[in-house]
Amino acid sequence: MSELPLSAMNEAALQAAPATKARGYWATVGRRIVRDKVSMACALVLIMIFLSAILAPWLGLEDPYKGSMIRRLRHIGTAGYPFGTDELGRDMLARLIYGGRLSLLIGILPVILAFVFGTSLGLVAGYVGGKLNTAIMRTVDVFYAFPSVLLAIAISGALGAGILNSIVALTIVFVPQITRVAESVTTGVRNMDFVEAARASGAGPFTIMRVHILGNVLGAIFVYATSLISVSMILAAGLSFLGLGTKPPEPEWGLMLNTLRTAIYVNPWVAALPGAMIFAVSICFNLLSDGLRSAMDIRN
Amino acid sequence: MLIDKNKTRAAMIGLLALTTVAAWPRAVSADTVLRIGMTAADIPRTLGQPDQGFEGNRFTGLTMYDALTMWDLSSADKPSVVIPGLATEWKVDDADKKKWVFKLRPGVTFHDGSPFNADAVVWNVEKVLKQDAPQFDASQVGVTASRMPTLASAKKIDDMTVELTTKEPDSFLPINLTNLFMASPTKWQAFFDKAEGADAKAKSQAAWAAFAKDASGTGPWKMAGFTPRERLELAKNDKYWNTARVPKVDKMVLLPMPEANARTAALLSGQVDWVEAPAPDALPEIKQRGFVLYSNEEPHVWPWQFSRVEGSPWNDIRVRKAANLCVDREGLRDGLLAGLMVPASGTFEPGHPWRGNPTFQIKYDKPAAQKLMQEAGFGPSKKLTVKVQTSASGSGQMLPLPMNEYLQQALAECYFDVQLDVIEWNTLFTNWRRGAKDPSANGSNATNVTYAAMDPFFALVRFLQSGMAPPVSNNWGFINNPKFDELVTKARQTFDASARDAALAELHAASVDDAAFLYVAHDVAPRAMSPKVKGFVQPKSWFVDFSPVSMQ
Amino acid sequence: MLAYIARRIVYVIPIVISVALVCFLLVHITPGDPLVAVLPADASQELAAQLRAAYGFDRPLPVQFGLWLLRALHGDLGNSIATGRPVLAEVMRAVGNTVTLAIAAAIIGFTMGVLLGLIAGYFRETWIDKLATSFAIAGVSVPHYWLGMLLVIIFSVQLNWLPAVGAGPGGSSAWAWDWAHLQYLVLPAITTSVIPMGIVTRTVRALTGDILSQDFVEALRAKGLRETGVFRHVVKNAAPTALAVMGLQLGYMLGGSILIETVFSWPGSGFLLNSAIFQRDLPLLQGTILVLALFFVFLNLLVDIAQAAIDPRIKRG
Repeated sequence: MSELPLSAMNEAALQAAPATKARGYWATVGRRIVRDKVSMACALVLIMIFLSAILAPWLGLEDPYKGSMIRRLRHIGTAGYPFGTDELGRDMLARLIYGGRLSLLIGILPVILAFVFGTSLGLVAGYVGGKLNTAIMRTVDVFYAFPSVLLAIAISGALGAGILNSIVALTIVFVPQITRVAESVTTGVRNMDFVEAARASGAGPFTIMRVHILGNVLGAIFVYATSLISVSMILAAGLSFLGLGTKPPEPEWGLMLNTLRTAIYVNPWVAALPGAMIFAVSICFNLLSDGLRSAMDIRN
Repeated sequence: MLIDKNKTRAAMIGLLALTTVAAWPRAVSADTVLRIGMTAADIPRTLGQPDQGFEGNRFTGLTMYDALTMWDLSSADKPSVVIPGLATEWKVDDADKKKWVFKLRPGVTFHDGSPFNADAVVWNVEKVLKQDAPQFDASQVGVTASRMPTLASAKKIDDMTVELTTKEPDSFLPINLTNLFMASPTKWQAFFDKAEGADAKAKSQAAWAAFAKDASGTGPWKMAGFTPRERLELAKNDKYWNTARVPKVDKMVLLPMPEANARTAALLSGQVDWVEAPAPDALPEIKQRGFVLYSNEEPHVWPWQFSRVEGSPWNDIRVRKAANLCVDREGLRDGLLAGLMVPASGTFEPGHPWRGNPTFQIKYDKPAAQKLMQEAGFGPSKKLTVKVQTSASGSGQMLPLPMNEYLQQALAECYFDVQLDVIEWNTLFTNWRRGAKDPSANGSNATNVTYAAMDPFFALVRFLQSGMAPPVSNNWGFINNPKFDELVTKARQTFDASARDAALAELHAASVDDAAFLYVAHDVAPRAMSPKVKGFVQPKSWFVDFSPVSMQ
Repeated sequence: MLAYIARRIVYVIPIVISVALVCFLLVHITPGDPLVAVLPADASQELAAQLRAAYGFDRPLPVQFGLWLLRALHGDLGNSIATGRPVLAEVMRAVGNTVTLAIAAAIIGFTMGVLLGLIAGYFRETWIDKLATSFAIAGVSVPHYWLGMLLVIIFSVQLNWLPAVGAGPGGSSAWAWDWAHLQYLVLPAITTSVIPMGIVTRTVRALTGDILSQDFVEALRAKGLRETGVFRHVVKNAAPTALAVMGLQLGYMLGGSILIETVFSWPGSGFLLNSAIFQRDLPLLQGTILVLALFFVFLNLLVDIAQAAIDPRIKRG
């Protein structure tokens, strides 16, 4: 497998946000993205998947944990089981919808955590500069030296299987990437006139970072982070697929894909369903991230 | 990219026809090759003492090597028992029960032509037991010494007689010795002399590494080719000492294929002729395409091993019995496992010399189980919570998660609330040695590690004897039952083989009557073969004899 | 230029040492007994202690790290616990198979990517562009292990055209460049190629579009330059960035192939890593991670230097 699409986006994300923005910029971005049909379709699909995952217990679904040896591996379209049943006779529809809970959690939470940590680190490194910058960025470089798939698998392999360990592993993978982006945009902004002006008027470093810099770099970092969600979804499910993530019997798409592999000779299309969910979420986040980027790129 | 298969096939058949015609005289004498897909992820070690458990012994132990004693693998119906191997007879010293005398088989040679004799036996004992011997190899010690825990030393009496000494009187020694394979000292010495290394230890390691690539034993198969992690080629040993067991095929190729689907696909597409443990869900397809399925009860148990430490819910015998009565093992067999298990009613089933006559009948009787649970103070509104540690995969574990989920559902009917603690296989296995009190047990009160029941120590003693509690051995739940201890001692010190078996049967019956485990299943070692494979007999064993197999 | 290269190389040394430290520490926080492969569950305590000492696991971690690093510098990554074979030889054999797969995937992915990217860039905002872009987005969004499974379902299970797993009828050792062996490469290579295909398509499309929309292209066209000349111009300007992206993608394919190799049982470095993780074979695990990470570090270095050689503006920092 090759690496997931990180590096190529890096540069694009950096270009996306102009350093200073007039008031009304975000309103324009909002108007532009609402007019983008592809982005809106993706947002709709994602909202449906999210809502169904959250509301799963109230949707009148079968128990996703309750199996039956008699009704194992029913085909798609079986009466009562529109998406068939899995290798233990559990309702696939219920498991796919419930599976969204864990899959989305372990796919998205690491990016959010990495966004918080990475932005803070990058902001400090970029604004303070000097030795602190060197210390932070050289540490980041070490983790950057591993292909992210290898790093994620090595960390989860070391920590052992488990939801928490997967989240930790993926967060460690993404923090250096976001830190790099954050440091780079911060360095770009820090010597601009308005920051100088704020400094001259006696604002402290924390105020400057929070008020003047954060507001101007957050957009670029945010766009970059949204592009990571798709990668994170694929990786998180990949860890479970290898047996390094979620543990059975929890419904989770990657793990379902793994356990259903034994059934590809009997019921191949049911076995392929969880992957389709991962694909749908991943492609929607990618398209949405693209849409957001071009909406923010006013030059166009 | 994708070439039309039919065209390709037509072209290949044409090509094949041409080459066959051209090479006709040679084709007649072409080697017959048997290709086998193993479940192991890597080729088991080839240097004499294989890793990968009994699958290792099956493929790289018993094929290339012999031991002093061996298993009878000739019958599919009778239990597999110990028979003479490189030793023709043995007996314990009447005066000192720690000393045994083994008479060696005359006229046996290693694949390199050097003779098998008492020196070779002593050398092979010392490769794992004598730390200052040049051939001592730490990497072989673990798998060997633990399978013959009482063996202490070996001494040559004459060229064809060896004296073995145990640490304590132990009637199980001849059974244990099936695991000590005889590698050629002459061949090893040649590698040692050629090896480069700073010191004797480094040279010894290098010599073993070289030996692993070009091994020499006395077995019916010789090493012919070896690519680590990918393939091992064995060639028949024409000069095997037991002429009845000279292999019928010329070559056997062993391929590691850890994925059940991959093995199945390889069989169906003709890449291999024989696969171990095909994917259960693919069995109908395998049969439908004309492949042949073999299986037989194996000395293997799939249990829940109960914790008996203070406060464990399993300390109440009614609860232990109720769990044993609450599981519909036939339903498990016919549903989830597609027929590929034997319901367990103990460690050994009726007909086995060590079965005995337990009074507690392990079967499916839900009303009786519910009644026992009610007597113990539980009911629909007051469930008993139990926590079981298991893994998602692992050698011999069959289908651990689905099977545990099946038990979870079944036991719920008898007022059990089963919590599964799924951990990584190696962690589970490590905890098995550390015991129920160790933090790594996560507070669970049963563990689900399957075990081989080939010899009495592994089948019974290590679980039931109080002295075997962690960290000594696998009495994971700290069973402490004076009756078990007394019966273990009796069996170990009974040197007449049939009296010893009777004592073991008594111990086994006592353990069933005490519902010492939740006995669930015996594996049946399913294997699927091409219809071209003939003459195969699957014994009630972990091992098989490849010699009578032929290819048509 | 030489100074830049020298600086870049010196800068790699601390990275390499830190990477080695991360590899070592990662592996040693692993729960479970490192000797589980050679020490059965029923081994006595003395036996366990004896073996732990024989393998050096009784020493303090810094000592173990120092010894390991020292030997690693001499090209000795120790011996696998499970097999007793030298780790370096094991890893290198596996890496060879990964290289075969990566090159096959690169040929497919890069060719497709460049073609699609050029077409999309030339026909920007037309349906052709949309089609090519969707293809690229799908490529970078698809969980490749799932794609691998789908391909197996279609081409191996349903159609029975191609083998599902493995590296040739006799394993990779008997590899030959004939159909009997190549058919094993088809599915894993296609699966591996989708991400580089997607990324290269997007890069080339953006580059082509940018170059074509620049004023001087119009000027060239106005001066009567033919389309082939314009095309040559596009290629010349897009090549450095595109090649750098491809170089990095090749690095990723060499370094992180574990999921696809697991799906196809392809006996490469990722497959080896997977078995090392599940066998808890510490020397093999840390050796494999180290070799793969170093591969990636050096490919990065090469790409940097090559880029600097082509485009002197990059020589900042």
